Amino acid sequence: MKVNKFSFRKLIMHAILVIWCTSIGMLLYFMITSSFKTNKTVFKQLWSLPEKLSLTNFANAWSNLNFGRYTFNSVFVVIISVALIIIISAPASYALTRMKMRFAQPMTFFYLAGMGIPFQLLFIPLFKIMASLNMVNTLPGLIIVYTALSIPFTVFLLTGFFLSIPSELEDAAFIDGCNEFQTFFKIMVPMATPGIVTAAIFNFIGLWNEYMLALIFITGKENKTLSLGLYSLYSSLQYTSDWASIFAGSVLVIIPTTIIFIILSEKLISGITLGAIK
Amino acid sequence: MKKRKRYIAWIFLAPSLIMYLYFFVYPTIEAVRLSFYKWSGFSKNMEFVGLKNFSKLISDDSFLAALKNTLLLLVIGGIGIFLLAFIFSLLLGSGIKGKKVYRAIIFFPFIIAPVVHSIYWGLLVYNPRTGMLNQLFKLLNIEILAKFTFTDIRHIFGSVLFVVIWSSVGFYLILLMAGIERIPPYLYEAARIEGATELKMFFKITLPLVKEVLVIAMIFWGINAIKMFDLLYAFGGILPPRSLWTNAIYLYIVGFGKRDPIFQLGYASAIGVATLLLVVIVAFIIRKLIRREIYEY
Repeated sequence: MKVNKFSFRKLIMHAILVIWCTSIGMLLYFMITSSFKTNKTVFKQLWSLPEKLSLTNFANAWSNLNFGRYTFNSVFVVIISVALIIIISAPASYALTRMKMRFAQPMTFFYLAGMGIPFQLLFIPLFKIMASLNMVNTLPGLIIVYTALSIPFTVFLLTGFFLSIPSELEDAAFIDGCNEFQTFFKIMVPMATPGIVTAAIFNFIGLWNEYMLALIFITGKENKTLSLGLYSLYSSLQYTSDWASIFAGSVLVIIPTTIIFIILSEKLISGITLGAIK
Repeated sequence: MKKRKRYIAWIFLAPSLIMYLYFFVYPTIEAVRLSFYKWSGFSKNMEFVGLKNFSKLISDDSFLAALKNTLLLLVIGGIGIFLLAFIFSLLLGSGIKGKKVYRAIIFFPFIIAPVVHSIYWGLLVYNPRTGMLNQLFKLLNIEILAKFTFTDIRHIFGSVLFVVIWSSVGFYLILLMAGIERIPPYLYEAARIEGATELKMFFKITLPLVKEVLVIAMIFWGINAIKMFDLLYAFGGILPPRSLWTNAIYLYIVGFGKRDPIFQLGYASAIGVATLLLVVIVAFIIRKLIRREIYEY
């Protein structure tokens, strides 16, 4: 009797989880199948599989709707931004946690306080600064904005990681005659790699998906990022009603983050765990 | 052993500090200053108006509506997210099979671009003509819901709120589970021997010991909710209806609104400062509500 009750409970638990997960699977199913349908069939045959796997929508989005260009812009901006974010935030996090510097605590607080600033507050003054540098509507300008605004969260994640590295290693390096720079690059960076990878993935996903800052700082058509391009296409839908291309564009946007998720989700999940909760 | 030179730390700090100061801290201070001025952006002359922008906020119906939505998103969204995250963490923590797979799938929507969520839910789920939700309710013979317009301006905010909860819960689930997994299992074993029920163990062991992580997770949610923009803004199409506005969106519309440019940059900055104050208040309340008692175990 008890065994029966037990397995019934398990069944209910699995049912709840399966229903929730199905609703998530549906997003992928419907976005992908819709991207292969035509403007005529996409809503009429919503539930069925596409009749044939034609790449027309993708070709149309890629060349006619400029998504090829947008993809290139996104890849360029996001990869360089992520690299810059890590290059400047990792040494800073190390200095704040391990170098016994003066004012380490107030400085850490100063960095982390940025996490609480709603980015919208910065729009106007930052636009003014970028305009004075002639960097509005340029990809390097967007890279600078992305890099600067990502510092607080990245420092938050990385300080968590650096704190978890035992100090014996550092001491040993100094006894062996390493200077601060050698210790950092040869001992600490390899030790903190899981944290650096987590921070890089997190920033990649966040910046790849965001379009708010791009909407402010990219004013021309040529320099749009992929997410911004998709947003523009979607918001102009009432004039064009080119539904099929929208779904193709959406699939283009979710491909890179989905691939990262499939390969690295376990790393990412354990990374969040380690970095955010010391 | 050489003595460590402390000043070198500043060399490590310099690149990020320079960028942070010039492109983040300085504009923040400048925004606060701007909120005391009337300025349209094109003219050089900025008129100092003191607290006028702020007194205008209090009597601005659009701002009050946006503030109400921001608070709804924060509170209702937060309750939904943390309730579900706790339910899922209990289900997944019960030694169920496939725990890692379930957890990864629940987390998955978090890595999907907010625009794509808007497109999927807007066109394929909620839309009364093209979406599947109304069709589904029709199939199930639930009359009221089959005729319900999820994208109607009266209901659209609730509809988006569900998408926010649905797509965010995975991230907070991971944080909570990490906190729960740190609790030593012998506490539960001891409680079980004493004859404690599952419910009792949750309230007497899990909840108090996960507090510290919960505070971090809730502050995270507070900040993210208050500055959320991408999903809500895209959901409204070319110009989101007022029923979708939050502080973040209203600020953008007042400051940059592309359709009919308003360019009230001083006033927009005042909205930003009010929003920043909201972040500070929320972080303070969360810290007060859940005092950080450190349990030794």
